[in-house]
Amino acid sequence: MLRQVVISCLIALAVLPAAARTRPHYGGTLRIEVEGDPWKVPDGIAWSLVHDGLTRMDSNGTAIPALAVRWETQNDNHRWQFWLRPNVQFHSGWPLKPSTVVLSLSGSCRADAGCPWTTVHAVGTSIVFTSDSPMPNLPALLSGNGYLIGQAESEEGKALPGSVGTGPFHFVGLQNGAETFEANEGSWQGRPFVDKIEIFSHKSIHDQWLDLSVGRADIVEVPAEQLRVAQQQHLTLLTSPPVTLLALAVADSSLLSNPNIRGAIALAVDRSALSNVIFQKQGEVTASLLPSALTGYSFLFPIERDLNKAHEMRGGLATPALTLAADNSATMQLAAQRLALNLHEAGFNVQVANAATAQHKDLALIQLTLASSQPQSSLESMLRSVGVSTPVIENTPAGLYKTEHEFLETHTLIPLLYLPRAYAVSGRVRDLRLSASGWPLLADVSLQDAQ
Amino acid sequence: MNLRQKLLLLFSLTVAAAVAAVAWTVLVRIRLVFEQRDQQETALFVSQFQREFQHRSAEVAAAVDHIAASEHVRAMAFEIVQSGDAAPYLTEAQTLAQDAQLDFLEIVGADGNVVSSAQWPARFGYPEPAAELTTTTFLKREDLPNGASALGLFAARPIRGAEPAVHLVGGKRLDQSFLADLPAAPGMQISLYSDAGANPSPGTDPSTVPSANFAAFDPARLLSATGPVTAAARYQSLIDSARKTGLPASSILYLTDHREDSVNATAIPLKSESGTVLAVLTVSISRGGMVEAQQHIRAIAYGVAAGGILFAIICSLWIAARVSRPIEQLARAAEQVAAGNWETHVPERSRDEVGQLARSFNHMTAQLTSQREQLIQTERVAAWRELARRLAHELKNPLFPLQLTVENLVRARALPPNEFDEVFNESTRTLGMEIANLKTIISRFSDFSKMPKPELEHVDAKGVIERVRSLYETTAATSNPVPQPIRFELDVSPEPMPLHVDPELLHRALSNLVLNAMDAMPDGGTLTLSANPLANHIEIRVSDTGAGLTPEECERLFTPYYTTKQHGTGLGLAIVQSVIADHSGTIAVESRPAGGATFVITLPKSSLEV
Repeated sequence: MLRQVVISCLIALAVLPAAARTRPHYGGTLRIEVEGDPWKVPDGIAWSLVHDGLTRMDSNGTAIPALAVRWETQNDNHRWQFWLRPNVQFHSGWPLKPSTVVLSLSGSCRADAGCPWTTVHAVGTSIVFTSDSPMPNLPALLSGNGYLIGQAESEEGKALPGSVGTGPFHFVGLQNGAETFEANEGSWQGRPFVDKIEIFSHKSIHDQWLDLSVGRADIVEVPAEQLRVAQQQHLTLLTSPPVTLLALAVADSSLLSNPNIRGAIALAVDRSALSNVIFQKQGEVTASLLPSALTGYSFLFPIERDLNKAHEMRGGLATPALTLAADNSATMQLAAQRLALNLHEAGFNVQVANAATAQHKDLALIQLTLASSQPQSSLESMLRSVGVSTPVIENTPAGLYKTEHEFLETHTLIPLLYLPRAYAVSGRVRDLRLSASGWPLLADVSLQDAQ
Repeated sequence: MNLRQKLLLLFSLTVAAAVAAVAWTVLVRIRLVFEQRDQQETALFVSQFQREFQHRSAEVAAAVDHIAASEHVRAMAFEIVQSGDAAPYLTEAQTLAQDAQLDFLEIVGADGNVVSSAQWPARFGYPEPAAELTTTTFLKREDLPNGASALGLFAARPIRGAEPAVHLVGGKRLDQSFLADLPAAPGMQISLYSDAGANPSPGTDPSTVPSANFAAFDPARLLSATGPVTAAARYQSLIDSARKTGLPASSILYLTDHREDSVNATAIPLKSESGTVLAVLTVSISRGGMVEAQQHIRAIAYGVAAGGILFAIICSLWIAARVSRPIEQLARAAEQVAAGNWETHVPERSRDEVGQLARSFNHMTAQLTSQREQLIQTERVAAWRELARRLAHELKNPLFPLQLTVENLVRARALPPNEFDEVFNESTRTLGMEIANLKTIISRFSDFSKMPKPELEHVDAKGVIERVRSLYETTAATSNPVPQPIRFELDVSPEPMPLHVDPELLHRALSNLVLNAMDAMPDGGTLTLSANPLANHIEIRVSDTGAGLTPEECERLFTPYYTTKQHGTGLGLAIVQSVIADHSGTIAVESRPAGGATFVITLPKSSLEV
């Protein structure tokens, strides 16, 4: 008996430290380094720190309450009513009001032509969306970064910078070269664990990794093409499933108004070279909008390159020099150059340009983020992001395939690869998880060395 | 142009030609020497440049060798061969090229496809034929992502340790910065003409594009280290020659209309491993200094030549004067002699040919003077003899009857008075006739010695001829005792025939000719008087149909005292010739073998019509 007690005590002593190590602590400053702009609309990492949406996605891809506590659909999804969470305040102390939400969402509409609703207005403590066409996926769509709620105006009616929200952190400003965010003590979700988040922007991947290695950064980005190197360097990685669709957007303009020309372009691209070499086999070759893991029908969209058919479809039609725009990052420019090379073999003269400075874009290499793990809403979100406002009503694989196939037949968007999103974290970061879109959920993060 | 001027011109031309020939020879020689020196200098610079070019080639080769020999690269090559996965080394070429300061670097896998490309990272997976080249260095046109192409100096090396071999193809760009790094002497410009290239697909070797497909010359593509080359179009022929033949070409290029803006240019074709001309390197050295020196020397030569010619002209003046003066004196003396001044003497200054000529001339004039005096004396004696003979002859004929008559009278004194009276009357009549005959003879001689001075008037030849015809036509018709009278014919042009003559003298001359013609036709005939205007003269003809004249007679007809008539004095035609000569005319005689003679008088036409 004594022996059993002693053993039990020893086990308890062994378990207690482990329990202490896993229990989150409040406090500390989390340092994040990113290559781009944290305030980039809509995917900048800062937006989700400062703002909340009416809904949010859980790990299963289901919309769950956020600033809206419940919602109802009426009139065959033509009308939706969302009831706001009570007692929620903006970082400015201004209470969350339906009118403020309507104003914020209207601003989102102006900024993004892909709003699914026709009108939005406040009814009591609720927000009512109406549309001429059904909006079956509205709760899921509202969880996206494009529809985060911010305080657009102050009490006096003056315009605010857009960094005032209800999120777990509030924006302090630029301190010591870092975008600084402090924990929102009054967050409706509860106070986050870390006291402060510092985001160092416009850092090269090399510098980020260097800072991580010397302890100056806690979370750094790992591009898909660098995942292998990161693994070789034994970095602690957090990798999402394939959530970023790399695609070639083809302008339906005068130059490329001929669908055969667009079809020839689609057949000329060499996805495997992009995946195997440029993205170091970290991508998932795809010719469909949604990843295979979500739909299971991706294999129905052919991914093979067919140069002869591309020539055949082009039919000897002469096209003037086309401009392929891509982000100025080295990988995207390299991928664009490879695509230009592919297209050159099919008889196209393609010049690669920086998307930020290109005057005219016949082709664009773009990245689309998978909104959730729910295929229907993800497909609609993706389509809206490329300017297709038709709602995705069908929820069956066949219906989704049909919708996707009809769109891809236009060859205005040529899916190339699905890429994961990955981060390398320092040893002091705990409980970091990624959302369905691959973004880090920083509100849940705690620091090991926090008091 | 006189002798002195001719001599002056001859001397001047000779000296000027000699000076010009010397100056031309000197200038040509100087130009050749300068050009030779210029070519040697250009050849030296080109040689230096080629050594530097080879040095740069060696640098490229060394850089690629260094990369290929590094442990890191050898490990990479081993890994690529072993794993067959080259993807992790996609950006390796960029890093290696940056470290080695190469503009181009490609890692080419064992399959001949690009694993990593520094200059065109997206080109992975495409074949690179240059990897198999074994040459130390070679030129190659490299396609770039922006659609352009660049010329580069390349070296290809296998990476040791990996089997099958992984290769490196590295190079440096042949561009303006490359040219700027090359050593250039003052006045030397190095430029590069590079075609745009055929822009083939990445799978093909651009160096295989044949030279025949070269685009037309584009002056904008000729670049020096500092930018576009001035007057690049002037290089076209040179560059085209190098492009077409694949051989170096040299030429003097005139960049502007000024000679000093010229260059001695050499075009060096830069060829790929297959021999295709990829670009043309031009090394041009300014000829400004040489041209300025040439112009300076030329100016001096011209100055010396001009001075020499001027000096030659002055010397020629002196020499010509010295040489021509005696000849001129001789010429003037000869003119004086020709004018009748036979007393002329020329100075005898020298002992040369001219002096000898002067002495001969003086001797000749002295001889002429002496002979003339002798001739005059002889002629005078002959004239007196002839005159005496004539006078004796003429006077002897009447004197003989006179003597006979006087002797008859003396003998008749012995006759009875009636017979004496008869003889006396007969003798006195004969004496009177013979004395009248003597008077006539003396009158004729007197007339010949006292030819009157012409009193010129403007008359028409028709009038003069008509007067003669009217005077003698009737006489000829009536006084001629023969049964066949002399018939007068008149053939006078209706055109005006103005003459400025003494009408009386001309009438006497024509009358004399008409009387001679009548005497020549004792059996009758036709006497024709004709007159025709010529260009500047009036021609009067007096023709008869008589027996004509022998050539000897024609020759001596106008000699005084020569006559073919039994009772002629031989002074008639001499008087006619004297009259005609006094009117600046001429007289000639024509005799036809069939008989008949024509006297042709030519007188100057008067400018005033009557």
